[in-house]
Amino acid sequence: MAKRGFLVFIVLLLLVIAAMPVVSMLLESVMVNARLSFAPYAGLMTSAHQWTLMGHSTALSSLVTLLTVALGVPLGIVLGKTDLPLRRLFAAVFVIPLLIPPYIIAISWSDLLGREGLVAPVFGTAFTESATHLLFGLPGCVAVLFTIFLPIPMLLTMIFLRTIDPHLEEAGRLVTGWRGILKGITLPLILPGILLSAMLVFLLSLGEFSVPNFLRYDVFPVESFVQFSAFYDFRAATAAAVPLAAITLILLLAEAVFLRDKTYELHPSADAGQRREIELGTRRRAWFVLVAVAAVALVVLPLVVLLVQSAGLHAYTEALSRAGASLMRSLIYAVIGATLLTFLGFFTGYLVHTKALRVWRTVDSLTIFVFALPSTVVGIGLISLWNTPWTNFIYGTPLIIIVGYLAKYTALTSRISAARLAQISPSMEEAAQVCGAGWFRRMARIVAPLARRGLLAAWTVGYIFSLRDTGITMLVYPAGHETLPVRIFTLMANGSQQLIAALCVIMIIATLLPVGLVWMVPAMRRSQAIK
Amino acid sequence: MSVVDIDSVSKSYDGEMALDRVSLQVEQTERVVILGPSGCGKTTILRLIAGFIAPDAGSICIAGELVSRDGRILKPPEERDLGMVFQDLALWPHLSVAGNLEFGLKAKGMARRQRKDAIDEMLKLVGMQALAHRRPSELSGGQQQRVALARALVLQPKLLLMDEPLSSLDLDLNLRLRKEILRLHEQLGFSMIHVTHDRDEALELATRMVTMNAGHIEDEKAAR
Repeated sequence: MAKRGFLVFIVLLLLVIAAMPVVSMLLESVMVNARLSFAPYAGLMTSAHQWTLMGHSTALSSLVTLLTVALGVPLGIVLGKTDLPLRRLFAAVFVIPLLIPPYIIAISWSDLLGREGLVAPVFGTAFTESATHLLFGLPGCVAVLFTIFLPIPMLLTMIFLRTIDPHLEEAGRLVTGWRGILKGITLPLILPGILLSAMLVFLLSLGEFSVPNFLRYDVFPVESFVQFSAFYDFRAATAAAVPLAAITLILLLAEAVFLRDKTYELHPSADAGQRREIELGTRRRAWFVLVAVAAVALVVLPLVVLLVQSAGLHAYTEALSRAGASLMRSLIYAVIGATLLTFLGFFTGYLVHTKALRVWRTVDSLTIFVFALPSTVVGIGLISLWNTPWTNFIYGTPLIIIVGYLAKYTALTSRISAARLAQISPSMEEAAQVCGAGWFRRMARIVAPLARRGLLAAWTVGYIFSLRDTGITMLVYPAGHETLPVRIFTLMANGSQQLIAALCVIMIIATLLPVGLVWMVPAMRRSQAIK
Repeated sequence: MSVVDIDSVSKSYDGEMALDRVSLQVEQTERVVILGPSGCGKTTILRLIAGFIAPDAGSICIAGELVSRDGRILKPPEERDLGMVFQDLALWPHLSVAGNLEFGLKAKGMARRQRKDAIDEMLKLVGMQALAHRRPSELSGGQQQRVALARALVLQPKLLLMDEPLSSLDLDLNLRLRKEILRLHEQLGFSMIHVTHDRDEALELATRMVTMNAGHIEDEKAAR
């Protein structure tokens, strides 16, 4: 009874946090002077500007998806399945752009190639003019978002490769070489993962607003944000948000029909110890150079540019004096958000994994839907629901930011928890039940400790995504409670390049340092225990 | 000339000795059954012959040709002309029954017409012709075993390696498939190394029985 009651409470909580803002936004968009009207949508269909935005949004998302999948999958295979030296380090390096606010990479490329960029004195005005022309527009947006989302197909390829029974490839090894096996066996087996990564990249590119906004490329999320923040035209902002919600819903329905059962729970293969690596042989050095050059060009170079641009103690002193409070707030909100996300995600994951309530699939789909929705849409939904005199204790305080994190990112911690719980034998909980332990005790003493690595991973992911969030926070933060990504974003309008670069470096350190510590301390303890 | 000649082969994993100077020869059309408890090194012998792993010391010859020696694989698995049935069968789930058989034929560059004939013939031999377009997940345990056998034999290998393929079956199905293996062996005339921990199975299938324990061959004798 305790189990059922608590899980029902979790479902209701998710309904209030995640579903109601979207419903409220949709209702508000069709209510004109307290009467039902679809006039805003009719206007949407006939507006040439809206169709231009649609063209821009789909072109950007499609190109980014094509590029990231075309290069991310081979990269995932090279890093996940070959004997390439330093492949773990390379994988970690390629992931960095995904962990930091997306616009930081755009700023860095602008600092390098822009009219006043670092290369301007060397290559001259003609070069920087051409580079600026390319950077500020579709090609630049594609390049930057490609760098940011490349880790998604790369990581999913690596993860799905680990789920393949090594015997399936060995059976192929008896008749053909690795090239034939990759084409005929491995790639078809990981196809659901590749399609999932393509869908994720498409949706995330579609919803990304900070990069197109910085690089001045008009897409739906930028329009939505501008209509809301510059003109405070809620209806126009919603009208720009609804096509994004519709595309998201269609793609997720397709995922539910074609992929859900194939990608839902990932189990490492039982014979993982026998997993075969592709020996690169004489091509090992060439592959190493190729991957190293890609890592330097896509990740190391932008980071170095920021370091060079921000060089000098003065920039950091000024950055901390102008944004120190925002940094502290960011860290506090991210820690609170990650902790609550881990808690909510654990029980949502438990519900989804055990199918304890009949609505488990609906709950899972709801969290995924809200995660896939562009941040600006979620932000507008939150405003629509919570901006009332009765709920000002939430809307007028930083609580609204935390509610936004929970609405948007529970899918991540829920999926991580569900995947970890799937690896724990149900008999573990049953044995505790036979011993007379109640459900809460079983959760606290047996299931959660067994799932602790999954919980740690969920907390880390929750922390990263809460800290880097720009879209939701930008729309809902109460006066005087802006976070560091928002502060950097607003300072971009009038701050010096040096100051912005220093703030970006601080932001990167604030992301990577705690994550590194969270993972290194237990690892060091384990290694000391072994000694 | 022996089909396989294993000479003083040793293999260890993370410092644990799995095989210690093991020698074994398999002759044409011979059915060698390796019998022993879990962890005695039976599967390691098969994986060494297949070329999935290299021996730390010693050498392996297949049909008189040196294929592995002293930590080096000289000939990759796909060039060794072997068939193998894995313990978990390892049927490719994304391919149909016919697709599972066709994969190797295609890799060998066989023409479409010849591929179809070879697949039809082999499926007829194992009584699976009617289910050629089914996926492995749509088959019963016994049917999956037959497909795994057919896939291993369709390339007409000179040696068939069998890694406890019958261990997960109920006794009735196990007995029927033993008969099936013997019938196929008689019809196709391949050599075979079959690994098991079941003495009855070993006695029924073997022309020669090799008993292993803790990485050593303890006993080797012709079956009755």
